Amino acid sequence: MLRYEYDKQKLNMQEKANGNDVEFDIHCLDGALVEAIKRVQELFEDNDVHTDVLFYAYPNHEYRVIVRQDYYVDFILALMKHRVLQRVEWMT
Amino acid sequence: MEQQAILAIGIFLVIYALIISEKIHRTIVAMIGGGLMVALGIIDQETAIHHIDFNTLGLLIGMMIIVSVTAETGLFKYISVVAAKRAKGDPVRILISLALITALGSALLDNVTTVLLMVPVTFSITRQLRVPPVPFLITQIIASNVGGTATLIGDPPNIMIGSAVKELTFMAFIENLTPITIIILAIYVPIFVLIYRKQIQTTPELKESIMKLDEKEVITDHKLLRKCLIVLGLTILGFFMHQLLHLESATVALGGAFLLLLLTGEHTMEEAFTKVEWMTIFFFIGLFVLVSGLIETGVIAQLAEQAIELTKGDVVVTSMLILWLSAFASAFLDNIPFVATMIPMIQEMGQMGVSNLEPLWWSLALGACLGGNGTLIGASANLIVAGMSGKEGHPITFIKYLKVGFPLMLLSIVLASVYVYFRYLV
Repeated sequence: MLRYEYDKQKLNMQEKANGNDVEFDIHCLDGALVEAIKRVQELFEDNDVHTDVLFYAYPNHEYRVIVRQDYYVDFILALMKHRVLQRVEWMT
Repeated sequence: MEQQAILAIGIFLVIYALIISEKIHRTIVAMIGGGLMVALGIIDQETAIHHIDFNTLGLLIGMMIIVSVTAETGLFKYISVVAAKRAKGDPVRILISLALITALGSALLDNVTTVLLMVPVTFSITRQLRVPPVPFLITQIIASNVGGTATLIGDPPNIMIGSAVKELTFMAFIENLTPITIIILAIYVPIFVLIYRKQIQTTPELKESIMKLDEKEVITDHKLLRKCLIVLGLTILGFFMHQLLHLESATVALGGAFLLLLLTGEHTMEEAFTKVEWMTIFFFIGLFVLVSGLIETGVIAQLAEQAIELTKGDVVVTSMLILWLSAFASAFLDNIPFVATMIPMIQEMGQMGVSNLEPLWWSLALGACLGGNGTLIGASANLIVAGMSGKEGHPITFIKYLKVGFPLMLLSIVLASVYVYFRYLV
């Protein structure tokens, strides 16, 4: 499993398991992070897998992201790559 | 029968068998078949090129360019999210909405493109509602084949027929085929509900989560969207008026495509050209040349003569024969080569004295398009949806589809028979 950290001034993020998926509720409080989230969304929408990571946009820069278990690491690393997260490490 | 004719039949049958077997890609097989017709001297190269219907190819390429650019804007996802919200997040109503959007999309674009755009949206909505996507996907396959029947540009058989018969304009297709497709869809929708309503139940909380979605966030490029909507609107208007403007449908589609590329620039053009399905385009070229071998050697004329002998030239019998034969052939075979063979045969019947060809053309269009619903291999759109669904862990097996698709196909052909009989033959 992964442990991650983010700037709580700029972002609220909760995750919960739901069957074979992990659901993230993300609320961006910073405009730059909204753009970063959109780039992560493009990354997963442009690949050949349609059900890996699904983004749902709500008003006020809130997002629900449904992530298939087997794409959990890919999603977290994509958030890190686009600087939505500040730190990611393997839990021992 | 001349030796050349026997050789042409031999090549045609072997190529047809290879297309059905799907052991080698159908484009390679069709191009080799066409090439053999030329290489073995059955037809010369100039005659072969003369038989390639550039109107069909131009129309397909033009629409593929327009749709590929428009798809980048998020328009289709936007329409689906709005539809899901209007359906108040209710899965049954969403199933109906998405099926109707697919039918309309297939009428104005083409089936394969429409389902390619609809499938990812369907996965997204069904995942959020926690309902199985397969009922939605099967209804969309069926709706796409019915919707594609409605217009000249909706399905390759119609494009080929409209291109071969100049009197059958875009408006003629709408006037003659749209009414019956609306009737068929109106009968299908309650059947879809009856079949699937128990499988697609969700909770009030999940319905609410659909209602909260912000559809404006789905549009990725507002400037590009405006350009696409203007060009798409002009192109569709052009189709309605192409006879009045003395323009072929391919000129309208290619005109729209290059106007859009003019407005969007070189980078968009490079990407749009990579999304044109060149394999489909070359499949058509191969088939046109392959069938031209049968035309030039007189095989098609002989077949038409035998068909007239069999039906004694009776238009009612001939229409019904074409309708049902096309439906069953399209359910199990690729409808494009079938229609490519039938078109010259019907034209030949006209030259042999069958004066009222109109019901025969509409019977061919209805049979070939609606027949595609019969089995999972009946149309390209069916296979594409099944392939995408299977890849995402939701297989649509041949039998699972057949149980729904085949009875519905039979129902549509019965309705089409009644329609053709009362509209053209009484």
